[in-house]
Amino acid sequence: MTAGPYGALLDAVRGVRWPAVRRVAGATLGAHPSRLRGNSSEFSEFRPYRQGDDPRRVDWRLLARSDRAYVRLTTDRATLRTAILVDASASMAFPQPALTKWVRAREIAVALAAVAHAEGDPVGLAIAAETPFTLAPRARRSVIVEMIRALDATTPRGDTALAPLLAAARAPRVAVVTDLLGDAGALLAAARLRVAGGGEVTVVHLLATEELDPPSDGLLAVDPEQPALRRTLDRTTRGAYARALSAWLEETADAFRAAGVWYVRADTSEPAAHLVRRIALEAGGRAG
Amino acid sequence: MSFLVPWALVIGGVGAAVAVLLHLVAQQRPAAYLLPTARFIPDRHTLVRRMAARPRDLLLLALRVLLLLSAAAAFARPVLAPHRGTRARIVLLDRSAAVASDTEAAARVRALLTDGVRPRLILFDSTATPVSDARAALDSVAHAEPAHAAGSLSGALVAARRAATEIAAEADSVELVLVSPVTVGEVDAALDSVRAQWPGAIAVARVAARADTSRSWTLERSLPADDVLAPAVAGVRVAATPGAVRLRRAPLDAGDSAFARLGGTAVGWDTIARWDTTTASKLSANAIAMGDDVVVATVGRGASPEGGRVLARWADGSPAAVQQELGAGCVREVGFAVPLAGDLPLRPAFQRVVRGLLEPCRVAMRNTLADASVLARLSGTGSAARGSALADGARRPTPLVPWLLAFALLCAVAELAVRARGRREAA
Repeated sequence: MTAGPYGALLDAVRGVRWPAVRRVAGATLGAHPSRLRGNSSEFSEFRPYRQGDDPRRVDWRLLARSDRAYVRLTTDRATLRTAILVDASASMAFPQPALTKWVRAREIAVALAAVAHAEGDPVGLAIAAETPFTLAPRARRSVIVEMIRALDATTPRGDTALAPLLAAARAPRVAVVTDLLGDAGALLAAARLRVAGGGEVTVVHLLATEELDPPSDGLLAVDPEQPALRRTLDRTTRGAYARALSAWLEETADAFRAAGVWYVRADTSEPAAHLVRRIALEAGGRAG
Repeated sequence: MSFLVPWALVIGGVGAAVAVLLHLVAQQRPAAYLLPTARFIPDRHTLVRRMAARPRDLLLLALRVLLLLSAAAAFARPVLAPHRGTRARIVLLDRSAAVASDTEAAARVRALLTDGVRPRLILFDSTATPVSDARAALDSVAHAEPAHAAGSLSGALVAARRAATEIAAEADSVELVLVSPVTVGEVDAALDSVRAQWPGAIAVARVAARADTSRSWTLERSLPADDVLAPAVAGVRVAATPGAVRLRRAPLDAGDSAFARLGGTAVGWDTIARWDTTTASKLSANAIAMGDDVVVATVGRGASPEGGRVLARWADGSPAAVQQELGAGCVREVGFAVPLAGDLPLRPAFQRVVRGLLEPCRVAMRNTLADASVLARLSGTGSAARGSALADGARRPTPLVPWLLAFALLCAVAELAVRARGRREAA
């Protein structure tokens, strides 16, 4: 694998498990508990034989001891197709020129994909860039490298909507890495539909530390997605800005959580590996 | 160097000071910073006003100050004051028919040339003519034929005033000397107001006047009572003298020419339109202009007289009456006929035209010397006129003015360019 600068990140997330929150419906043997019960070796329970059950599943020893026919139930495990949806709008190209926010979004996307792929899940990628990029979920080994190439080749600009890509994602589990400064309302609606359909949506709300705590000098803030929007940020407006941003973050989190979306807030000061471990741990807690 | 409009300099200086002040108290637009969460900043003022210790945008400030100062200097109209001499003199020499002896007048002027003050000589009769070479002009005056034109002191003074504005910048005082007999005929209604334009005394050197000829207009023969021209010359004396005016109701002949050569005035006015003759067909409405008088009437138009000086013209510009000098006198031909019927002979304008056509060739001069009160008004009191009082408009604007304006324009263009560059950088 040619992971390039992502090598250390991939090493850091090796062994991390990102379990599905619910039992999955897939039949392909994987790592996530399946809704189906079959013939795997992982015993679950006995159930009285009913007409139509496969006679091969009757526990003959128990029949001999108790003179009653029971069938042996086992827990199946299946794979979970996972799609990573990355916001590549102009607001992600921040702060200039380091683009820390975009770099961190790429790292999170790659790390999540690697964790899912390590469990045998097919992973895909959708980039909401000026020219949207979509990679269907695949389980092949090279898919992570393809994702890395696609992300590295993308320059965040424009204001492409995320919601259509979320609605079109062909995977029951979708992780969205975004700053929610674009079509948050439409994205919430699409996520609500997906959750209602049994899907699993994780939103990683990523903000740069410079957005949470902007430079203290008076500056003319220009919205990269709406250049006409220009506001002066100085001592007199700083407090109001912090309050408005905090309120928005709370409202957004509440809205997504109420829709059944797994909402994770992150900022660029948190390493991607740490964030992915946190996501996986919380997902395990929810699944438990 | 001095300035015609010094207030413009003051205004320019104040403008430059205001520009410096504005650059100190400047509204600054802070540096642009891309911030995706800019929408959460309250929409308040976008400019920061503060007082700086040093002016901002020194290049812009310099351009603006230079623009204001150079424009102010240009509008202040800088002038170069030339070096002044102590005294200048303007001599008005009468060359009209009122002067009895041009030689005497020239000698009086020549005497003024000996005291070292360079004079500006102006010859005048009804018009004034400045001459550049005074001595040569005096020589020609002394040997010239006696003049026949009337004199006008008003015209002479106007010419002197104009000449004074040219030389006043080079002299502390300008002396005006009038060499003239100062007759009544040379004084007109405008003299007092024109005299008031000269801010000093006028030295009047009076010379002898020619004999008064104003009463010498006589008709050789009296006109018949039924002649249409009779009302116009009703008061004219009749005497068969050599200088009289001969009116011929027929084409002029050799006798008339001989009469004119001896100083008489022969007027040929042979066309009289009668309603009962074939000439009546030539009668038509027309206009005759002579001097300031215009007569519009039904008159007969004969053949246009040719040659000589045109005294009267038809409405279409062709001559209606001409005069030719002949010896000491002249002959006139009149080419229009006056109908016997109608009130035309009684109209004042027509009578003035008739008198103009029947006047003697030589100008009748009222050569009576003007009285002492006229001389006193003309001379005035005090000393010669001060150069500064005469020098209005004599100062020459320097060629610096267009250069200053061009420099101001250049600064304005540069200021625009610098501002545009600043805007691009800020964006």
